Amino acid sequence: MAEAPALDMAGIGKRFPGVVALDDVHLRLAPGKVHALMGENGAGKSTLIKILAGVYRPDTGTIRIAGEQVTLQSPRDALARGIKVVFQEIALIEEFTVAENVFLGEYPVGGAGSIRWDRIRADAAALFDRIGFGVDPAARVRDLPMSQQQMVEIARALAHDARIVVMDEPTSSLTPAEVEQLFAVIRRLTSLGIAVLYVSHKLDEIFAIADTVTVLRDGRHISTRPRSEHSEDSLIHDMIGRRIEALYPRTRGPATDRDILRVENLSAPSGLKNISFHARAGEVVGFFGLMGAGRTELAKAIVGFDPLRAGRITVDGRPLAPHDTATGVALGIGLLTEDRKREGLMLDLPVVQNATLAALGKWARGPFVDFAAERRATQDYVDRFNIRTPSLDQPVRLLSGGNQQKVLIARWLMRGLKVIVVDEPTRGIDVGAKSEIFALIDELAGAGLAVVMMTSEMSELLGLSDRIMVMAGGRITAEFPVATATQEAILNAAIV
Amino acid sequence: MSDTAAPRATAPRPARTGQGQGALLAILALLCVGLSLATDTFFSGENMVAILRQSALVLIVAVGMTMLLVSGEVDLSVGASLAFVGCVAMDVTNQTDSFVIGAAAGILFGGAVGLMNGLVVTRLKVNSLIATIATLMMLQGGVYLFTREAVQNGHQLTAFTTLSTGYVGPLPIPVILAALICIAGAVVLRLTLFGRTIYATGANPVAARLSGIRPGRVKLILFVVTGLLTGLAGLILASLMNAGQPTAGRGFELTVVAAVILGGTSLTGGRGTIIGTLLGVLILKVIDNGIIILQWDQNLQMIVPGVVIVLATWLDMVRGRARDG
Repeated sequence: MAEAPALDMAGIGKRFPGVVALDDVHLRLAPGKVHALMGENGAGKSTLIKILAGVYRPDTGTIRIAGEQVTLQSPRDALARGIKVVFQEIALIEEFTVAENVFLGEYPVGGAGSIRWDRIRADAAALFDRIGFGVDPAARVRDLPMSQQQMVEIARALAHDARIVVMDEPTSSLTPAEVEQLFAVIRRLTSLGIAVLYVSHKLDEIFAIADTVTVLRDGRHISTRPRSEHSEDSLIHDMIGRRIEALYPRTRGPATDRDILRVENLSAPSGLKNISFHARAGEVVGFFGLMGAGRTELAKAIVGFDPLRAGRITVDGRPLAPHDTATGVALGIGLLTEDRKREGLMLDLPVVQNATLAALGKWARGPFVDFAAERRATQDYVDRFNIRTPSLDQPVRLLSGGNQQKVLIARWLMRGLKVIVVDEPTRGIDVGAKSEIFALIDELAGAGLAVVMMTSEMSELLGLSDRIMVMAGGRITAEFPVATATQEAILNAAIV
Repeated sequence: MSDTAAPRATAPRPARTGQGQGALLAILALLCVGLSLATDTFFSGENMVAILRQSALVLIVAVGMTMLLVSGEVDLSVGASLAFVGCVAMDVTNQTDSFVIGAAAGILFGGAVGLMNGLVVTRLKVNSLIATIATLMMLQGGVYLFTREAVQNGHQLTAFTTLSTGYVGPLPIPVILAALICIAGAVVLRLTLFGRTIYATGANPVAARLSGIRPGRVKLILFVVTGLLTGLAGLILASLMNAGQPTAGRGFELTVVAAVILGGTSLTGGRGTIIGTLLGVLILKVIDNGIIILQWDQNLQMIVPGVVIVLATWLDMVRGRARDG
């Protein structure tokens, strides 16, 4: 140990109401090295980096930077101490130029208090030279592709003399060529002695760039090992804690051959182009695609939430009125949204009202709600789905992500659907609850529903689907039965 | 379905009743006790009835406004509509010599204003704050195209005046009407399917839509209901003043919204109760009454409620933060 670690976090703990997000997690970054932080959704990666960014304060634990113990009070404080976090959502001012963004907040000032725009541009150009980054400093950020915007963020880190750069899922919206460029920039950073924390759940990237790998699961530290000691299997095992088969128990029988949902030549203003597919009773059709492929847009179009430009959707042979969810629900098609908080839940209202929202008519006595019957039905689902809530009157915002998702699934089961469209069903849900959600989806198909599942998680796609559809640029680019699908073939079709 | 679940399924417990209302009740009680001690005129049957009578108009409209705010919308045109309704009702009664036709004309005029507001908000997607301020301006200008001065009572029908001056037992008719509307509003919000869709629409319109509810339709209905109630209130006001006054109702919308907000209804939708609104109206009117019988400066009638609203809203936020941890 000649040199103090660039960053040393020890015993980090963080709780939120109803969830332990982090429990006794440690992380040590060496200068000039790339350290990968891995874990499934809900493993605690984002909480940990938000602590590093100064957004959250840990409940327990210590943070040392280059040997010195610090408290990160705010994002500004973290930055001042040399930590730069590049989040998935780019935080640049789109109307400003690249150079103006890079030096935002510390413009050099000349006589009479005027800003020295010429120096900003020259400094930016010099900085870009140093990191081998070929972008015009005078270009407007709005006009740059996502990948270059990301690099502007990284350049900003260097302008602030960052010694630690954290990248949160940096490749989620990049093409393979752009990923290569990003890796080149990362190598340049490490050659300057900067410690890079690379947060991802993509195995291939980790093997390409990381020196060391730390895996989190359920908010706990599972392992930290040099990459050379890992195989793909050992990493997956660390991440999900069991074999894939155990995570995706299949209890349902084979799909029937009765088409329930038919989508024909669907195009929509949201960018969908000529999409046709069908889903059978008892079948899970999995849709895979990279960011921007049009998965969520398709989900919202087929349940009638978004307007169509052309095409026809039928449920059990009966056509859906376009852009009208009420007829969709009446015909038996509903969406389990990817964005629970914004589009699914009434956060301040109790569990019972959230669960029964789509099926209120069931408990009608004239114009009145039969509260007792409504509560009995909800209690039934709470028991059956193992929804952990102190009471039916608990505001749903206080439940964990997994339990919130079960409330929303219960909402649709109470309604009695024929087709359920599930969009990223396990986003933001911890691993334990994930397998319960998988079991529920399996059960839905087993009960004869057609399930249309949109996902960006390869393991979910392969573990749950009967048939796999791949999307890119608003079109369907390939279809595989799950038995013959390989990760490689799916990814190739997604990148088209 | 099992018998063991039955004990849990007892009385309905709608969202957060009883939470902020304890505080409101305490404020109201404190005001009443304080004023009873400070004056010898406050605590009398006569004065209580006077307070209720003054509360009636605000309360009638506030019931509609509560439902509208719970659904996530607001109507600021109710004051201007109130004045216009009075002129229309009086004029039509003068011309037809029929109380029923005149009353119907006034109430329907209010309903039509509500329908217009609702269509502009739900079809043209104009923000309701802006849309109803625009309506307010149109009505305030429009009423002068309709009449340059107050429409006087030329028909002398007793039914018209009895509407505001009559009694049933010890209670004035407007108070009875307000009480009935209050009860109806509370029943709709708390106990009916429609009430549930109102809360859902305000709490999360996207979730409501995805669940097969049509939030636009819910809001349209509530705009019309608020309009009709404004029509009724305008009719009572014309009866009370024995004239249709184009200048009446200035600032009325602010009193209504203030009472509703004071009662714990959220400006952003999804939360609110009629009981809270009732308490909010009573608090504002007791303050009014107190300022008059204490012979304080009349301008305090605007200033004090302003201060009370800021305090109440702030307290509500503090409680909300404590709740969320």
